[in-house]
Amino acid sequence: MITALKLVLKEVVYTLMLIVGVTALLFLFFNLMPGDFPGKGGGLPAYLNLLKRLFTFQFGVSVVSGVDINSILFPAFRNTLVLTLGAICISLIIAVPIGIFSAYRSFKGYSWPLTIFSYIVSSIPVFYLGYLILFFVSRQTGFLPIFYPESSAGKHRLLSYVLPILVLGVGNDAISEIVRLISSELGRVMSTDYVIASKARGESLLASSVNEGIAIPLVSIIFSKVPFLIGGAVIIEFVFNWPGMGRLAFQSTLDRDLPILIVIAFLSVLMVRAGMILKEILLYIFNPGER
Amino acid sequence: MKRFYFEEESIQPEEFHVPIYKRASAQDVISIGFGLFVLSYLIGFYIISITNIFIKNPMEINIGAMFHSPSFDHIFGTDFLGRDIFSRIVKGTEAFFFPGLLSITISTAIGMLFGVLSGFYPRFASRIISYILDIIDSVPRFIFILIIIVLFSPSIYLIMTFVGITSIPKIAAYVKAKVEVLKQHGFIESSRALGLSQMTIIFKHIVWLSSKSVLIIHATLGMGEAILIETSLSYLGIGVQEPIPSWGNMVAMGADYFFQGRVWLSTIPAITITVTIMGLYLLGDGLNSIYNEKVTR
Repeated sequence: MITALKLVLKEVVYTLMLIVGVTALLFLFFNLMPGDFPGKGGGLPAYLNLLKRLFTFQFGVSVVSGVDINSILFPAFRNTLVLTLGAICISLIIAVPIGIFSAYRSFKGYSWPLTIFSYIVSSIPVFYLGYLILFFVSRQTGFLPIFYPESSAGKHRLLSYVLPILVLGVGNDAISEIVRLISSELGRVMSTDYVIASKARGESLLASSVNEGIAIPLVSIIFSKVPFLIGGAVIIEFVFNWPGMGRLAFQSTLDRDLPILIVIAFLSVLMVRAGMILKEILLYIFNPGER
Repeated sequence: MKRFYFEEESIQPEEFHVPIYKRASAQDVISIGFGLFVLSYLIGFYIISITNIFIKNPMEINIGAMFHSPSFDHIFGTDFLGRDIFSRIVKGTEAFFFPGLLSITISTAIGMLFGVLSGFYPRFASRIISYILDIIDSVPRFIFILIIIVLFSPSIYLIMTFVGITSIPKIAAYVKAKVEVLKQHGFIESSRALGLSQMTIIFKHIVWLSSKSVLIIHATLGMGEAILIETSLSYLGIGVQEPIPSWGNMVAMGADYFFQGRVWLSTIPAITITVTIMGLYLLGDGLNSIYNEKVTR
C-alpha cells in the first residue's frame, strides 16, 4: 500500500514538473512568434502569472471574443471527456473479442476476415467514416436524425451521443493495434507452462491467461492512446458539430486566439497524465511481478 | 518424408539461424506483399506527377464536364469543376511525399540519437532526455500542430517537421530498450576488447547491424502517420490549400456533394487514403513479426 502511494506521489510530482515544462515551452514559442500580440512579452513575471492562473483554474478572458474562458471551456471539456471515454469503450468492445478469437485460431480459418476488418476500420480516415455513417444511418434509413433542435437537446441527449462516439471508437487507429497485441500476447501466454498446467488441472484456458495475456497489454496500450484520441476528437467534433474542446481548439486556431489554445493544451496534458497515473495504478494491481 | 523434415526444423528454438524467408508466416507474406504494392504505386504516382506524363492537367477546369461518373475517358470521374479526379489523385502524392520523408528523417535520426545516448549514459543524459521526450509526448499531437499553425505560417513542411518531432519519443524508447539489451551481449564486450572506438561500436554494431529493423519499421509506420496527418489537416482546411490537389481536401470538397448522391467525388480519394495507409500499416506489422520486434504505432 505504501509503495503504491509512493508511486502515485512520484507520478504526481513528475506531472507537475511536466506541466511547468510544457507551459514554459509554449510561453517561449509565444514570445518567438512574429508580430505583436496582446499579452506578449513580460519575461519571467508574466510566465509566473500564467502558471498561477493555470493552477488556480482562473483562465481569464479570450483575446478575440472577450468572453470568460472558464464559461466556455468547462462544458466543452466535459463533452470531450464523454466522447473520449465512450470511444475507448467502443474500441475495446470491438477489438478485444477479435483479438481473443484470432489468438485461438491464428491467421488461418475464420479469423482472417475479422483481422482484415480491423485493419480496414483503423486505416479509414475518420472524417470520411463520419460522412459514410451519417449517409447510411441518418440519410438513407432515418434511424437516427442528423440534427437535434436546441429545444429538445435535453430529451435526446443520449441519442445524440451515439453516432460521434461510435465513429470515433471505430475510426481511431487503436483497433488493429489492440487486435495485433492481444492476439500475439495471448498466443504467447497460452503456450506457457503455467497455463498448460492449469489446463491439465481442468481449468479454462482463457480464464487462466486473462491476466497476463489480456489485462496487462490492454492497460499498457489504452492509456498511451489518449493523446491520439484527443487528436481524433478534433476532427470528429468538426464533422458532427459536437461542442467539445477540439472544435474550440480548431476555432481558436482560425481566430489566432492563443490564450485559449494554451489552456486547452494544459487541460489535455492533464488528461494525458491522468491516464498515465491510472495506468501505473492498474499495472500495479494487475502485475505483481513488477512491484 | 519431406513433411517430417520440416517439422523437425521448425522445432529448433535457435531463432538466429532461421533465415527470414522461413520465419515468415502466410499472414506476413500477404501483409508485406500488399505493403510493397502500395509502396510501389506511391513511388510510381510521385514519379508520374513530377514528370507530368500520362496524366491530364489536374488544374484544368472544364465546366462542360462537371460531375461525370467514372468512365473510360475519366477513370475516376470528374469533380465539381470538371477536373479529372485520377490526375488529381496522382498529383496529390506530391502534397505528402517529400514532407513525409522529411518527417521520417527527423524522427528516426533524432530518435536514434536520443535513444543511443540515453541507453549508453543511463545516469545523466537519460534523465534529461526522458524529461524532454515526456514533454513532447504529453501534449496531444494534433493540439501541438494547431498551436504551431497559430504561431508560425501553416506550411506543410513546417507541420511535417513538427510531426517528426512528436514521433521522436517512441523511436527513442525502442532504441534505448534495444541498446540496454545489447550492452549485455558478449560481442560488444569483445569489440571493446578489440580496441574499436565507441563511435564504431555505437553506429556500426548497435545502430546499423542490430537495430536497423526497428528503424525501417518505424519509417514505414511514420509514413502512414504522415499521410494521415496531412489528409486530416487538409480536410480541416489548414493544410494544403484548395487549388493544389491533396487527398484530404479532395475528400472535403467532395463531401459537399456526398449527400446529393454524387458519392465518388469524396469516396475515391477516401478509398485511396484507406488502401495506402492500410498497406503501410500492414507492411510495418509484417516486418514487425518477421524481425520479432514489438513496435507499437
